[in-house]
Amino acid sequence: MAAEAGALRVMDFGPSSALRSQTLWHAVAYGVSAGAPATLSFTRPAAPYVCLGYHGALDEVDLDYCRVEGLPVLRRMVGGGTVYLDEDQLFFQISLPVQAVPAARWQALRNLLGPAVTAFRAVGVPAELDADLEICVGDRKVCGHGAGQIDNAVVVCGNLIERFDHERAARVLALAGPAHREQTLHLMRRFVAATPVDAARFQAALVHAYAEALGLRPVPGALSPDEARTVVELDARFTSEAWLAGPVRPQPAAGSERPPRRVKVRAGVWSVASEDEGAPNAAFTSAGPGGL
Amino acid sequence: MGQPGRVSVAGFELALDRSYHPGTHTWVLAFGPGRVRVGMDPLGIETSGTLAQLSFVPVGTELTAGLPFGQLEAAKFVGPLVSPVPGPVLAVNEALGRDPGLAERDPYGAGWMIEAGAELPPGLLSGPAEISEWFAAEVADYRANGVIAE
Repeated sequence: MAAEAGALRVMDFGPSSALRSQTLWHAVAYGVSAGAPATLSFTRPAAPYVCLGYHGALDEVDLDYCRVEGLPVLRRMVGGGTVYLDEDQLFFQISLPVQAVPAARWQALRNLLGPAVTAFRAVGVPAELDADLEICVGDRKVCGHGAGQIDNAVVVCGNLIERFDHERAARVLALAGPAHREQTLHLMRRFVAATPVDAARFQAALVHAYAEALGLRPVPGALSPDEARTVVELDARFTSEAWLAGPVRPQPAAGSERPPRRVKVRAGVWSVASEDEGAPNAAFTSAGPGGL
Repeated sequence: MGQPGRVSVAGFELALDRSYHPGTHTWVLAFGPGRVRVGMDPLGIETSGTLAQLSFVPVGTELTAGLPFGQLEAAKFVGPLVSPVPGPVLAVNEALGRDPGLAERDPYGAGWMIEAGAELPPGLLSGPAEISEWFAAEVADYRANGVIAE
């Protein structure tokens, strides 16, 4: 497939099943890797689910709760933590050939999150990209993001959080106990905020911002036949037990002390379970953004 | 003063007891007959950011030079660790599971990544002059292009 010079392909998948809200844009990344134009895609989950980052441990999720609630649990190919997604979040993904992106990952991420900040500001949200590469208003994160290289494409994903169900976002996590859960919820409420702006305006602002930043011309697009086939292949991969189990990670030495369960709420903010989960006022430590 | 057997090039310390693969920014060390050890070189580490997670293909996997032997995550960015050698994976550094930062703090020692059943492949750079010349040019190029700070 030959790349159309100067084009930014724009695709809006609209409301999608949990599975397709992941596999569609992963297929786009494979398409871009194979020569399709740089692509900005959008999707909105039609129903809630839970998604692990590429390296996330499955035991970070309360699988029993998710099963009872009918929440699918999926694993993506880009980084970041375990997140709760629902129809009140609009997701976007910018996919570029790897050679179009700086070799330094932090720089690639900063360059590719910049247009998202521009779009937030265009719709009246005074967002900034902080030193930790979080998109924030003040010290509150307003956009979850993740990034990765998929074959020869780089993808950066983010979202517009129109409303955020902090309770459920905390509830889907496997935590050390009630006190840890309470503290996690407290920190999520404190440091994660929704920005209830008009999603269509935000979407238009994103298209404009990415096109301008990349020097490309936005062109409405659709999946190629190869990408459509890849979606089907990814549907199978993403619902396999092997994929959900995650990559092989080096294991701590036998007998070594397991670190306390901790949850990253935003860069620099963690809820951390103490050994004595029930100890009043002593169960957790956390730090503000920029510190640990 | 640097450690014996090491040289400082453009502010980065390079071990001279091993070879470097310029395309993947990895080092390769012969580690017994038909066995090599692989890790990241300082530019590979510098351009990754603070390592948060590392994962490797399972022991026994047949590596292809130029394809991933694992994945690295830093700043929520997951990217491939590209193998400089073909051959079976014989071991992975389990210590990196507990402490990925080892690869940054001690890249030539405790921060090694995998061992593979392979000979040193062609195309590696060896010896103080060859290593220093290549690495200095790489750093200059990265700095000129803003990939790393001055």
